Amino acid sequence: MQRRNVFSLLWMTVLVLAISACAALETRTPSAAPPAAPGAAGTPGASSGPQLAAQPAGAGAPSTAASLPYRVNANAQGEITFWHFWGSALRRNAIQRVIAGFQQSYPNIKVKETFVPFGDIWTRNTAAVTAGSGMPDVIVEDRPQLRARAANKIATNLGDLARRDSIDGSAFWPFTWQESTVDGQPYGLPYETDIRVLYWNKAAFMDAGLDPEKPPRTWDELWSYADKLDIKGSDGRLQRIGFHPLVGGMGADIWAWTNNAEFTNNGTLTVNTPAHVETLEWIRQWDERYGKQNLDAFIATFGPQNSPQDRFMSGKIAMLVDIGGYTSFLNTFNFNPETTKEPKQRLGWGMAPVPASSTGRPVSLSGGFALAIPRGAKNVDAAWEFIKYATFVGQQSWARDTYSMPTVEKLAKEDPILNVDPRWQILVKAMEYGRPAEFNLYYPAWGSEYNKAVDDMRIRGSNPKAALDEAQKRIDAEIARKKGS
Amino acid sequence: MQQALDSQRVPYKKPFITPWVKEALTGYAFALPWIIGFFGFTLIPMLFSLYASFTDYDIINPPRWIGLKNYAYIFMQDERFQTSLYNTLYYVALKTPLVIVLSVLLALLLNMDLPGQQYFRLIFYLPTVITGVAAIFLWVWVLSPTGLLNRALAVVGIPGPNWFYDPAWAKPGLIVMSLWYLGAPMLVVLAALKGVPRELYEAAQIDGANTWYQFWQVTVPMISPALLFVTITSVISGFQVFSTAYVVSQTAGTTAGDPAQSLLFYEVYLYTRAFAAVPEMGFASALAWILFAIIMVITGLQLWLSKRWVYYDN
Repeated sequence: MQRRNVFSLLWMTVLVLAISACAALETRTPSAAPPAAPGAAGTPGASSGPQLAAQPAGAGAPSTAASLPYRVNANAQGEITFWHFWGSALRRNAIQRVIAGFQQSYPNIKVKETFVPFGDIWTRNTAAVTAGSGMPDVIVEDRPQLRARAANKIATNLGDLARRDSIDGSAFWPFTWQESTVDGQPYGLPYETDIRVLYWNKAAFMDAGLDPEKPPRTWDELWSYADKLDIKGSDGRLQRIGFHPLVGGMGADIWAWTNNAEFTNNGTLTVNTPAHVETLEWIRQWDERYGKQNLDAFIATFGPQNSPQDRFMSGKIAMLVDIGGYTSFLNTFNFNPETTKEPKQRLGWGMAPVPASSTGRPVSLSGGFALAIPRGAKNVDAAWEFIKYATFVGQQSWARDTYSMPTVEKLAKEDPILNVDPRWQILVKAMEYGRPAEFNLYYPAWGSEYNKAVDDMRIRGSNPKAALDEAQKRIDAEIARKKGS
Repeated sequence: MQQALDSQRVPYKKPFITPWVKEALTGYAFALPWIIGFFGFTLIPMLFSLYASFTDYDIINPPRWIGLKNYAYIFMQDERFQTSLYNTLYYVALKTPLVIVLSVLLALLLNMDLPGQQYFRLIFYLPTVITGVAAIFLWVWVLSPTGLLNRALAVVGIPGPNWFYDPAWAKPGLIVMSLWYLGAPMLVVLAALKGVPRELYEAAQIDGANTWYQFWQVTVPMISPALLFVTITSVISGFQVFSTAYVVSQTAGTTAGDPAQSLLFYEVYLYTRAFAAVPEMGFASALAWILFAIIMVITGLQLWLSKRWVYYDN
């Protein structure tokens, strides 16, 4: 081989690499969220007919614009595009029902619904807003990040429209509205929230000699209940665990709240107060209880989440904290295991407030989204009508389908179909302890530093205090950089 | 006389487009698509990113000049920069020798005179064609704690690690995965092997060299330019590892770089900066230029060192 050839080969490779890099970017997109189920991929128009027919009678006759619970702008018309990331069969169907209802009330507006993967949707929107074209008319925003979008002028100020239509936020759970506004100006209407509760397997309680109607209320009770619920095989492998704080739908940061730890102290973001250290130590105790290796191997045997083989429905964990929406899956699969001891009984499952430490109180993150209009959107009037409809009317069918909490308080508390299920009322009551995510304008992604501290402790064996001090150092440096630049 | 001749000569008017100019223009016209592409999509964006690296730029608002602040932060305070650089060097240092040894071994096997070699060549090259997220998902499944590989290991009594769930094993897992794409380097080495003149082996045999000696004294020097090429491209692609790590970490964990930032490679970190909730394109540009400088230096070093071990037969 000659020298010349090596160099020409190198150049060719550079070209090929460049081309394949482009290809990699193209194919990367499906990674963040699974593609929509083939059945759900149809156009809204094509599938709305049978879905509406299948809706419960309580949905009533098609509503007319006059009967809508907000001030309607009858002049709005044309086509709007709507970006969301609800690709699962359940949610895609649920949002298509909301759109179908809207089309009935607004025959002059046509909604074009587009699924964009969760990992891509906001990046793509930011790029479109920057380029000045290609942005949707309505987008689902992550509510905690909405203030950053407002600060970056990605989202449109909806204050004038809201005032025109007398929307002052009083209809919403207060924190959901607060999250959607900057200096009193709304940048979106809150859409969907959630609340976490403790789920427990009553048959497992009965078998373990616990009162199946008495859930644990504190961290200490979780520990002593787990003493009775844990089952280890003769080979030392775990067969059932009573509980582990990080097996479920609640992260260490929310557990910290139940221990009276705050992330904002005197206006600064703090992750290393004594209460925070205590929380991580508590989590480490649970890791040590089962042995991290054993636990990881046990977790690897869990079936897909929200399926009958998942950690809770398979009976592999007796208590866990998860979002309210999990109820819909327990209902769907009719989770009702039998006790192993005589007399055989089927007792179902229970739901209770999140257990807190001895000094704390139940707390849960209430996340969720907002429907917003990107800067530069073409049909703001029609987009605003859709946002109002989806928020004040659409969330009714949305909540019935997904069991996620509507942001409109009245809908959650008074919708007769939702409240047929007594468990729904437990979730509504639990909203008392819901609170929004901690937001920091200088470092919106600060949570990744906190999570690294948790990982450092759990995986690398770092001391909790040292790990949190390190995280604090990184957070401080990042915030100082953004403030200084 | 001369004067007379000159006065009789029909004045020659030089055409505006001489054949030489015409040929040049045609040439440039053919190259134009590439030139436009190079300027529009490579050079100008590169120069802009160089400018952006000295600014605070969130792609929404105009860039704001902040001098060397991005670079200062990266070098003095940024722990994630250090982590990502360490992860990337680890990956390159472990993967490159494996790629070279294995691609030479495969090429040697394929260079033997056996029936059906073209099918083997096809089979070994095939994974290079199957790229993208589908192949990555396949590997996440193969390397899952209860996946194919661990089951195979269990048969011979070895308890397999948790691979992508364990920060100590995530990078080795990714390297195992990357060795699937050996097709291209293998083909380059194979082509070089085919080009080694047979008479060199014959001469060596007459001198009494055994197979082992022939390999080291004839084969390796003769294919050394191909080995240099494979080394350089493998190092560069190692520094640019992105899509596999990005997809794997989000499948097995939640954020890019999981578990415990063990898959936070340089480009993954760069991406998370550039496309965060508040995009930091200026900061990411500074990271990109640092990576560019690192790759340039290492490639230059390899070319310089190659004088000592690469043999060119011209």
